Amino acid sequence: MTPIAPPVLITGLAFHAEPPPAEVGDYVPAVGTSREEKEILATLEDKAAAKTASDYQHIVWAYGILWALFAAYGLFLWRRSARLRADVDVLRRALERTEAGGGPRG
Amino acid sequence: MLHLAPVRLLRQSLLLLRSELRQELRDLELVLTSTFFTLVVLGMFYLSFAALEKKHTLPAVPGLLWLTVAFVGTITLTRAFDREREADTLRALLAAPVERLAIYVAKAGSTLLVLLVCCALLVPGLASMFPAGQVFWDMPLETAALVVLGCLGYVAIGTLFAAGLAGGGGKNMLLAVILYPVTTPVLMFALVTTRALLDNNPNLPSYLGQMAALDVILLGVGALLFEPVLVGSAPARSAAAAQRAARAGARRQESP
Amino acid sequence: MKRKSELVVPLLFVAAAPLVVYSVQRVFLHTPNERTMGTAFKIFFFHVPMGWLCMLMALISGIAAYVQLRRRSRTAGAVALAAAEIGFLGGLGVLLTGPIWGHATWGTPWTGDARQVTTALLWLVIAAYLLLRHFGQHASERLAAALAIFGAVNVPLIYYAVKLWKTTHPTTGVVAKLPPEMWATFWPGLAALLLVSFGLFAIRARQLILAGELDEAYVRLEDSRA
Repeated sequence: MTPIAPPVLITGLAFHAEPPPAEVGDYVPAVGTSREEKEILATLEDKAAAKTASDYQHIVWAYGILWALFAAYGLFLWRRSARLRADVDVLRRALERTEAGGGPRG
Repeated sequence: MLHLAPVRLLRQSLLLLRSELRQELRDLELVLTSTFFTLVVLGMFYLSFAALEKKHTLPAVPGLLWLTVAFVGTITLTRAFDREREADTLRALLAAPVERLAIYVAKAGSTLLVLLVCCALLVPGLASMFPAGQVFWDMPLETAALVVLGCLGYVAIGTLFAAGLAGGGGKNMLLAVILYPVTTPVLMFALVTTRALLDNNPNLPSYLGQMAALDVILLGVGALLFEPVLVGSAPARSAAAAQRAARAGARRQESP
Repeated sequence: MKRKSELVVPLLFVAAAPLVVYSVQRVFLHTPNERTMGTAFKIFFFHVPMGWLCMLMALISGIAAYVQLRRRSRTAGAVALAAAEIGFLGGLGVLLTGPIWGHATWGTPWTGDARQVTTALLWLVIAAYLLLRHFGQHASERLAAALAIFGAVNVPLIYYAVKLWKTTHPTTGVVAKLPPEMWATFWPGLAALLLVSFGLFAIRARQLILAGELDEAYVRLEDSRA
């Protein structure tokens, strides 16, 4: 059903079909590395991969937090700016009213 | 008659200190409330930590000692300057023809004395409650030096901030909120030195010397800042400022 | 003159933008992994500059607060507050990313290292300063200034005290000497962060100055009406 099934099956079979070296006396490995070595390597690779994945998670969190902090502060500044601008407008209108009313100026 | 500045400062400080003490001796308000509070804290520590084994009390005793000093110091300073604020004596004192530095010295001196009275209860209390505190009995001189130096550093900072809060006339902020973060260096030095005392560390004299140096720094900064902090805003300006602040707050609520 | 000073902030950001991009791509694509700490070491490149930023801003805030006290300068007060806010931000960044890095490399978020504790205590002082400035209103501004000065003075003292304190505790491993290519990545990141922060700092300081002037203008307006 799935296209990747046959190779997986085959490798699985291949591993399964391989007889354990202890049982066969004149077993000579086809590749340069022994089974134990391969297993050790695989374990190490798994560990390294897990470490890298965990490291990536940590990095994403750290950088995410840093940038979020700066973004939040930027937002805060922007809102403050808007409020100040509104304040200036209110003051300007109040001044215009005072001048139109002929009141004394400070 | 000598009119050198240091001599005058010393004489005025002593005069002010004597009047502080005379006032205190009239009703013993500060001493009674502070020593009572010390006893309460000691009792609470006893209930919380009496079950600790000796090896665990060793690192705990310095912490208990200096935490209590921090608590009692805050209570004493708050009460001392509340009294000033109620009677508005601080303003009068600042307007009087005395060196401002003398006010700082006298206030710090009287607070230090109250704290030392409390420590005279606290240290024997801890020494008898926790086996690790036995050293306090065995080395009374070193213990006394440690307590005096630690309290002096705490008071050097505490007087400045308590006076600033009382003189500011603004909202009554919690003294502890301001004081605890700033006093951490003194308290940490005191902790280290107490630990050295309990451990029979041969470096103890050097630690005590470092604490003394720290006290000099803190007293210097406190004395330097006391006048600018307290004698800042002229009344006219601060009235305008209060108005301004109120109006700014009102506007802030108006605007969305 | 006015025009020139208004150009400073955009210029800072314009200079920072390529630096940010450059340093981030350098961190992730062109810097080899540190051998013992692996990929998580990449946190270092922005974590440490944040720490420096926090200390620098605390120092600036303390100096500005001193000028504010001595000269009764409102501008210096605004600068001190703006610097404290940026310092607060930097400190928060360090204190949050530090444990993340520690968790990835040492397996524990908090080692009680002198730098960690110093930063945490300094951050507390900055927070107290901001609380006092925010809730204490105008009357306690001078007191807040004293707090900022003490915050700046305290930094070396706390660091030394924590080092002494640590002698009674187990010590943790320190970062080994870094190869030059790491530093080559570090400096642009630091420069980018400083440029951005000083841009924000300038904006905030100008806002605070403007707010003070506005308040004064309102008071004058009301006085003229009365």
